[in-house]
Amino acid sequence: MDPKLFLAENVLNERRPITYRSLSRALKVHANRAKQYALYIILLGGEDLGLICSYRLLYEFHRNENTKNPGSVHATYVITGLQSSPSTSTAATNGNVKDEDEVMQSSPYLPSSIPNQDSASEPARFMAVMLAREEDLDEAKSTFHSISTIHVYSIQSTILQDLNVLVDVAREVATTHAQDDPLECGKQWGMIQNRNVKRRTGARPPPPAPSKTEPKAAPKVKPEPTIPAKRPLQKESSIKEESKAQPSSANDSDASSKSAKPAPKHEKGSLFSSFAKAKPKAKTTKAPEPVAPPPGEDMVLDDASEEEQEELFPNSGEKSTSEMRERKKEREEKLKQMMEDDDADDEEMPDADEEEPAREPTPVEQPPPPKPTELKEEVTVQGGRRRGKRQVMKKRTMKDEEGFLVTREEATWESFSEDEPAPPKKKPAVNVPKGKGPKPGQGNIMSFFGKK
Amino acid sequence: MTPSEDFGFLRPPSNEEYEETFRNPSNYSPLSTFKLPSGSDRHYKQQYGDMYFLRLAGLKPAVEKIAAEAWDGFSIAGERASYVHRVLDVRQGELCWVTGTVYMDLPLKPNILDDLTKENFTNAPPPRPTYIDPSNPNLTQITLEDASGRVRLSGNFLSSVHLTTGTVIAALGTENADGNFEVIDIKVPELAPQPRRWEKSEATKGTGKEAVKQSGKIAFVSGLGITGTSSDTLALELLTDYLLGYTGFSGNEDNSPSSGASKITRLIIAGDSLGASVITDAASATDSAGKKKPVPKKYGYDASAYNASPITQLDNFLAEILPSIPVTLMPGQSDPANFSLPQQAIHRAMFPQSRAFCAPPPTGEEKSEPGWFDNVTNPWEGEVEGWRLWGCSGQNVDDVLRYLDFSGDDGDAHKGSDDSRARMQVMEAMLRWRIGVPTAPDTIWSYPFQETDPFIIESCPHLFFTGNQPSFKTAVIDGDISLRLDGGDTEMTDSDETSIPRVRLLSIPRFKDTGELILVDSETLEVEVIRFGVFAGQEEKK
Repeated sequence: MDPKLFLAENVLNERRPITYRSLSRALKVHANRAKQYALYIILLGGEDLGLICSYRLLYEFHRNENTKNPGSVHATYVITGLQSSPSTSTAATNGNVKDEDEVMQSSPYLPSSIPNQDSASEPARFMAVMLAREEDLDEAKSTFHSISTIHVYSIQSTILQDLNVLVDVAREVATTHAQDDPLECGKQWGMIQNRNVKRRTGARPPPPAPSKTEPKAAPKVKPEPTIPAKRPLQKESSIKEESKAQPSSANDSDASSKSAKPAPKHEKGSLFSSFAKAKPKAKTTKAPEPVAPPPGEDMVLDDASEEEQEELFPNSGEKSTSEMRERKKEREEKLKQMMEDDDADDEEMPDADEEEPAREPTPVEQPPPPKPTELKEEVTVQGGRRRGKRQVMKKRTMKDEEGFLVTREEATWESFSEDEPAPPKKKPAVNVPKGKGPKPGQGNIMSFFGKK
Repeated sequence: MTPSEDFGFLRPPSNEEYEETFRNPSNYSPLSTFKLPSGSDRHYKQQYGDMYFLRLAGLKPAVEKIAAEAWDGFSIAGERASYVHRVLDVRQGELCWVTGTVYMDLPLKPNILDDLTKENFTNAPPPRPTYIDPSNPNLTQITLEDASGRVRLSGNFLSSVHLTTGTVIAALGTENADGNFEVIDIKVPELAPQPRRWEKSEATKGTGKEAVKQSGKIAFVSGLGITGTSSDTLALELLTDYLLGYTGFSGNEDNSPSSGASKITRLIIAGDSLGASVITDAASATDSAGKKKPVPKKYGYDASAYNASPITQLDNFLAEILPSIPVTLMPGQSDPANFSLPQQAIHRAMFPQSRAFCAPPPTGEEKSEPGWFDNVTNPWEGEVEGWRLWGCSGQNVDDVLRYLDFSGDDGDAHKGSDDSRARMQVMEAMLRWRIGVPTAPDTIWSYPFQETDPFIIESCPHLFFTGNQPSFKTAVIDGDISLRLDGGDTEMTDSDETSIPRVRLLSIPRFKDTGELILVDSETLEVEVIRFGVFAGQEEKK
């Protein structure tokens, strides 16, 4: 991009501060050149006319800008150099300084060297890197003993009240140019290169983060598994739909639908496909489902079912008596009910499916009457919010008569209210047999999988 | 306005190609002195007594050697000083010398028994600026103990020396009628033998001085104090720019600002990278969250209870400089690591971006190379550019200062406000005591070591640094000063070619307060300071 355009756009039109580094990144030029561009813009006078030939356009543009509109561009500078003694230090005494420890090259600076009877203190070179506004430049320069460099740090259209806004510019740069690998672009930017840098390439990509923390260190690896957790789930859901599309054939070992028999350990299936065998009737209601159910729901269903499936299939395949069918039917409905009651709590599920196998040893003794410790919940839905009371286990620590600390878990009731989750699209179809009314005592998915 | 002088950048943009600058290589081999066993091998049930036992056993030979040289044949009024093996064997009226560990009882020192009896043991005791009670110096009791027993030290001599709990000394004196040991003189172990430069890397790789010809610089910074708000990071931006070579001091030979910074071979961050207040805020936030009703348990991090911004900013900072410069990161008091010393490395999971530069996770027994981004312990010992470094994030010095009263013997203007000299003295004393964290199991929380006391400084470093100090200060100490007493430099001469130990002390200021980066020349160990800051001009004054 033309630097002139870029600067005009950003500084004059959008009134954003531009630092030499953001310019360098945006234009992909060396930082030093970016400083020069930036500086050129703020040069108001014409004393360097002879030098501007190469950048006449740029120069004239800004000269015009400044003559038309004096003070439209402000700058901050970075001054580097040897600084005179810090204001806190008292008069320097050189008497106790050991000669061999002298660093003192061209620096006349002496800190307040406090003599140590047993250790020699020494003056060190105090150099400084200081950021100053254009307006304060002279004053800032006067604090230096000798100046090594001055360069533009940023230009902006107003005088900065608070220089800290420049930090935000830098962070923005980091965000917008996150995909540039510093190892490759560093040369372009003028970064000090290092031949020995060791970076692991096989590292797992960082977890998806808000754009601000977008990793720029591992841009190469990022694209593939950005959301490692999501990937399998989506696959599953597509499989699920597949199996839903041909509900009756699932039983007959259709190759495309993944019945559990061929590879129960590897194939992941949905809860519903497992019931497909036992209960084709329910399937038919599901067949016309929308293709893309809300993702949150997907996660719930899939996560919950995937462990269970492995347990269920071998058994149910062998001895599916009519009794069992009844049980399973019951159970399916209950499960569905629970899951839908609670599909907002999708984040709970990853934990729940770990516990599940332990809780459900065999499908036969499966009916889910809540365990004695299970927590109850009463829910009513009103005006888009769920309100109710639920029983929670609370830890209470108290001192008993003998002065010991005792921690007890007690079930207490507490009321809650939370947003009613938007009804998923398939809800009407699924819930036809039962209706959606809350069933006291049934418990939600949390209490079902919750801690025991 | 127009800057009138030409500082190299007041020129029209040219088409000249900028030369690439390459950073000098870093020669680095950390020691795992302070690495704790991981996982189930780390136990906290042991008694701390073992540490004192080990410390005394480790330092007794050294201090007795020095004491024997000094006091053999020493006599007062015809009575020769005799050596007593155990503290309990001291006989009243006999002039003798004995070795033991100092224990100091101070009026304001936190006492676990007090806390227990008052039943406020659930709260950590509030940090105290000092343990001594200046208005009542008599409450300070100094005792000398070993495995056999304990004797109380007394005498005017004690007021002229600085001692803390945990130091091993030899004391010359006699037991008086009160049963106290009247001290005439004490000896400390003095500086440990100092390895030659490049000793470790020569031993391991056979590479030595030849490997690194260019002189470089080692950069130290501590107390970055990142809080995640924008106010604290402008100096950090300037630091980043400098380290990456975008800003800097043009050498005389060329105008590239990166020529200076390219000499920096390594950045060592000595603790407290995160702002202290953030940690406490987060802690109190989680406290209150705990009292609230347990909202449905959420996995992953909860933004309401945990502010990830500081560590994210630190990660950003590291990820930005790591492509150019290797970093050694020590945890500090306010960092997300364990609190008790030795603090273990901040886990790399905290640095989603920077961790690509970490060493690969250890696989089995083999010892992996140190990572480009090396998370190390606090305290930490290692060899950088051939020099032996020993550093701590500042807890050691801070705590020892709570035992000591320096206001008496300076007498001059700077007391309280500027105790940098006292801090230097404490650092020197630690080297002479050969204990890097003398107060460790007593008033600094510490892992209960069983087999070894890693806080003993076995080999004297060339560079001894302490992070998070109020101000920058440096000094050089030599090993021979107090040894000259007896003319007995035998210890020095018989250790081959090792001349007198010479240590550079470095007190690294908090970057957040001072904006100072410390550069140490890798050949001469000379020190430079670079201060990063913002000129508070008229806008702020308005």
